[in-house]
Amino acid sequence: MPPPVSDAAIAFIHASVAYDRFPAVEQVHGTVRPGEIVALVGPNGAGKSSLIKAVLGLVPVVEGSIVVLGRTPAQARRQVAYVPQADTLDPDFPISVAQVVLMGRYRRIGWLRSPGRADRAAAEAALAAVGLEHRARDRFGLLSGGQRQRVLLARAIASEPAALVLDEPFNGVDAVSQEALLSAVRDLTARGAAVIISTHDLTLAQSTCDRVCLLNRRQFAFGPPADVLTPSLLRQAYGGAALELGDHGLILTR
Amino acid sequence: MTGLLIDPFGAPYLARALVEALILGALCGAIGVYVLVRRLAFLTDAITHTVFPGVVIGFLVSGQAGIVPGALVCAVLAAGLFTLIASTTRVSDDATLAVLLTSFFAVGVVLVSRQRSYTADLTAFLFGHVLTIDRDDILVTAAVAVLAVLVLLVLGRPLLAGAFDREWARASGYRITLLDLVGNMLIALVVVASVQAVGTVLVIAMLVVPAATARLISDRLPVIVAVSAGLGLLGAWLGLAASYSASIDHGVRLAAGATIVLVLVAGYALALLGRGLHRALVRRMPVAR
Repeated sequence: MPPPVSDAAIAFIHASVAYDRFPAVEQVHGTVRPGEIVALVGPNGAGKSSLIKAVLGLVPVVEGSIVVLGRTPAQARRQVAYVPQADTLDPDFPISVAQVVLMGRYRRIGWLRSPGRADRAAAEAALAAVGLEHRARDRFGLLSGGQRQRVLLARAIASEPAALVLDEPFNGVDAVSQEALLSAVRDLTARGAAVIISTHDLTLAQSTCDRVCLLNRRQFAFGPPADVLTPSLLRQAYGGAALELGDHGLILTR
Repeated sequence: MTGLLIDPFGAPYLARALVEALILGALCGAIGVYVLVRRLAFLTDAITHTVFPGVVIGFLVSGQAGIVPGALVCAVLAAGLFTLIASTTRVSDDATLAVLLTSFFAVGVVLVSRQRSYTADLTAFLFGHVLTIDRDDILVTAAVAVLAVLVLLVLGRPLLAGAFDREWARASGYRITLLDLVGNMLIALVVVASVQAVGTVLVIAMLVVPAATARLISDRLPVIVAVSAGLGLLGAWLGLAASYSASIDHGVRLAAGATIVLVLVAGYALALLGRGLHRALVRRMPVAR
């Protein structure tokens, strides 16, 4: 049965989430503890993005609840960092890499002050953590997709979050950037941050995440990768998108 | 040359026109960068049309003095309605704007068609009358400029975050709809302040052209804002001087507002040309990395 809620950074308690008044994903139940990485896995349209937006307080929880750092998602916003998919952003936007990372400090800087030495230092350290300190002055849009994704992670790191939520950070990302992303995320979990990553990459979920939440409009399993990423559970969750490979496994087509 | 740029403005009415045009040029240049990065050129254009019924009603109620208050009411109403509708419905932004633009404009046309003596003032409204600007007009423009600077100082970072990455800004706790409202209201105010001087048809150029030119010149936002405001200022000055010189020295009547816009567009063309040349040269140079 589910672990107790008390030591969790993020707790899903029989939570159902609606997007645009239609149920997107139902009955999610499980926890993310400090220092833990949990993968959200499921086919396209499974409700991964909606669940992520619910953790950020952008989409309503219509049944059950989601508790983030002991509070409601909306109340916890300032301590939760969100890493969107880099390719949703305008590559022509006139903004430098350093400016993007500094955005992570905005809520700490306040309305009327300008960024102080501590803010700049935090932004520089965050950019170094993803291995892009040499690109600080370049325009954001000039970087490769993987590098842009790393800059967005650096922005999240700069805000010194207690919890981190990444939406499909590895889509179309080269191996170098993927390794840089993972190592920076591990640095954060070593400092006690709770991390949720939505991903299509089951191998990655298996090798890097402490636990996996398998979704398709509802939760199919939530637990250690070895228990969740089994052919039989994947077959159930992916339905017609799972192609059988004899007795030895299956291919997921979406 | 310096004589041409300074001498005409000894006459009080031309000095007033110059002051008004300079404030507007810098103001439109700076706010234009927000229009550019938020891709709000169509919203700006729509607001220029939606002020029309306000201008007509204002004129009917209290003559020339009623134009700015009337325009202000309509611009604020349109910007507010747009923000509200865009944030609560699934109708796309451009369709929402088209509905607002045409309905406001139609009201204006209906009102005008019931009047007989309006045509002269209507022309002034469409194309501006910078040469008959009075002290109060300048004060209104200056007040809008001060307000714009204050808003950019206090809300510059949230507006930037919301323009670059809306979803992230929302997740970080920024109230995006409120920020949109502030930004849209600011654009509405700038449009209204500009209507007297350059007219509704040309305001959009004052807002978009210097920012687009600055964007061609630089990738850095602070530089773009400074260059855009500077270009707006310079364009206003050169445009007025050219319009005066053509009219007085050469007997060719050039509308002041339109001349300012043409100078700004010439700047854009030069920047475009310069960028093309720069690219061609860079391509031919040996790579030095």
